[in-house]
Amino acid sequence: MTDKSWFYKELGASENTIHWLHGWGTSHASFSRMAELFKKDASNRLYDLPGFGNTPALSKDAGTFEYSEAFIKQLDPSQSHIIIGHSYGGRVAIQLAAKYPDRIKAIILVAGAGLQRKRSLKFKTRAFLLRTLGKLARFSDSLFKTSFREAYTNKFGSTDYKNAGVLRQTLVKAVTEDLSPQAREVRCPTLLVYGSEDTDTPPEIGRKYERLIPLARYEELSGYDHHDILSRGAYQCEALIKAFLKDIENA
Amino acid sequence: MAGKKTIAVVFGGRSVEHDVSILTGLQFLEALDPGKYDGIPVYVDPLGQWWTGTALTKRSHYPLKGDAHKDLQQIHLDLATAAAGRPQFTAFQKSLMGEKRIQIPFDLIVPAIHGSNGEDGTLQGLLDFAGIPYAGCRTLGAAGTMDKVFAKKVARAEELKVLPELIVNRPEKGTFLDPEKIKQELVAALGSETYPLIVKPCNLGSSVGVGKADDIDGLIAALMTAFRLDSEAIVEPFVPNLVEYNIACMNSPDGSIETSAIERPAMDADVLDFKNKYLAGGTPGGPKLDSGPSEGMVSLNRTLNPDELTAEQESFIRGTASGIFKALKLAGSVRIDFLCDGETGEIWLNEVNTIPGSFAYFLWEAAETPVSFLSLTNRMIEEGFALSSSRLGATDAQAGDSKIFA
Repeated sequence: MTDKSWFYKELGASENTIHWLHGWGTSHASFSRMAELFKKDASNRLYDLPGFGNTPALSKDAGTFEYSEAFIKQLDPSQSHIIIGHSYGGRVAIQLAAKYPDRIKAIILVAGAGLQRKRSLKFKTRAFLLRTLGKLARFSDSLFKTSFREAYTNKFGSTDYKNAGVLRQTLVKAVTEDLSPQAREVRCPTLLVYGSEDTDTPPEIGRKYERLIPLARYEELSGYDHHDILSRGAYQCEALIKAFLKDIENA
Repeated sequence: MAGKKTIAVVFGGRSVEHDVSILTGLQFLEALDPGKYDGIPVYVDPLGQWWTGTALTKRSHYPLKGDAHKDLQQIHLDLATAAAGRPQFTAFQKSLMGEKRIQIPFDLIVPAIHGSNGEDGTLQGLLDFAGIPYAGCRTLGAAGTMDKVFAKKVARAEELKVLPELIVNRPEKGTFLDPEKIKQELVAALGSETYPLIVKPCNLGSSVGVGKADDIDGLIAALMTAFRLDSEAIVEPFVPNLVEYNIACMNSPDGSIETSAIERPAMDADVLDFKNKYLAGGTPGGPKLDSGPSEGMVSLNRTLNPDELTAEQESFIRGTASGIFKALKLAGSVRIDFLCDGETGEIWLNEVNTIPGSFAYFLWEAAETPVSFLSLTNRMIEEGFALSSSRLGATDAQAGDSKIFA
């Protein structure tokens, strides 16, 4: 394997290929249960995104755009492709569909991220105070050689942030980005599946995508959260995705 | 979406297999096609009370603690179909103005309760009585398979091969089992008093209460254990070099009987520990790779489509399974279990589970013509609607001149 190619696991053999892009902090294995259900219908390529699993990281400051640029090189240029993205993988899918309308046949976002949520005033205030505190900590560290920033991260940083390692900048970029302009550019049919109990990418984000993307279908699965929608929810996702794929074949 | 049917899946129940049933019920709900059906979880607690609420859909909420019931709504099955024609549950909601009665309508019930009070025809009979559509076996098939002695009688009448057995009734209070009398009965029923023997309660689906006896003292002890669970016990010869095989059957849309893959379960597979084997992760902040598939019957060690079976043995299993399925007019996804002497290759029909763990979907997914869990739930629901609507034509007392009070 060269540096440029992404690791993937292939499930099933068919002329149709479905490309699977996993979410932050996981690997191709997060789709292993769900993709199993598509084995009969397609060759499923379950990728490890750069920096996760077996694929080496991109440059330190790579964002979802750089991920999508790297990913388009993995795809057969003579065909148009179907992409299923979970969470962060959904961001990459949106970027691709926006920039390469001729190369992408359809995208499916399962708990896809990429849009900012409406936050309460309480949340915004707390976030502002914490950001200021973080800046102060960094400022103090640089002036007085203290190590407040580290303590700050340990106390207030998210699990993803703490575990991000070399991908820390990539994560920060993703968390603060807003893919609304890209979503407006998406021309392919898009399926949006969200779990009603999802607190990371709540249904609100899916509905927002539905408004932005011209050819979008929004489906909400009740009782599922950000992660168990892929395991417990695999069959329900299967039903929705297959119905959607059938509709685009017939269209 | 208009035209969506509401499917109430009933699980839990007053049975020793309460916990396994929770998983079977939740798995069925998770495999419902969201484009066609809305699922309602209905949990029957060990006291026999019925509850509903979204909190029931998470494995992490079990076992339900005393205060966990707060998010749930207690419901009652309405036995009189509403004027609108849809069956319904009723619940009472407390408000400022006192208690308010609310209705929760649905279209079909899926019984997912294993063992007594659910798989044995009692729930099915209740639903038939109320005219409520339900999936799976009808009352006759469910009751007939739960009574192991009766099921074996039917199998013999159909010339399907089963082991000989002796039925022993629980002794009256204050009396004891007479070893001499049992010895005589053994000779009469099994041909000789040859050990080891297997003792099991007559009316239980799982391996609970099953014991092996190596002599007459062991037999008396095993019988007493079985009598704690049932008033009747079956004594059967112990099959040496025992290997078990299971297969599932269901009705095919073309009227024939479809059989699934055959499995050879691991021998100690019945020792189920709810916490270790069933509870999947998925708590907020927990590991992201929730190992979802590891649950219930699915996670047990098994070999699918074992290659030691000869073509002859395989067709014997398929033929016998279809035979008993047809004889008892079964429906839904039914698992039929066989015993085999690994040395001689001889096979006997052992028992029939009309509501098997996980609805045996893993056997269907591994079948020669695979049936996905999604299409299995679809087919069971459609069959349920068809069977329930064909059961009764006119139920009006006017029909057939049976009216007495003019």
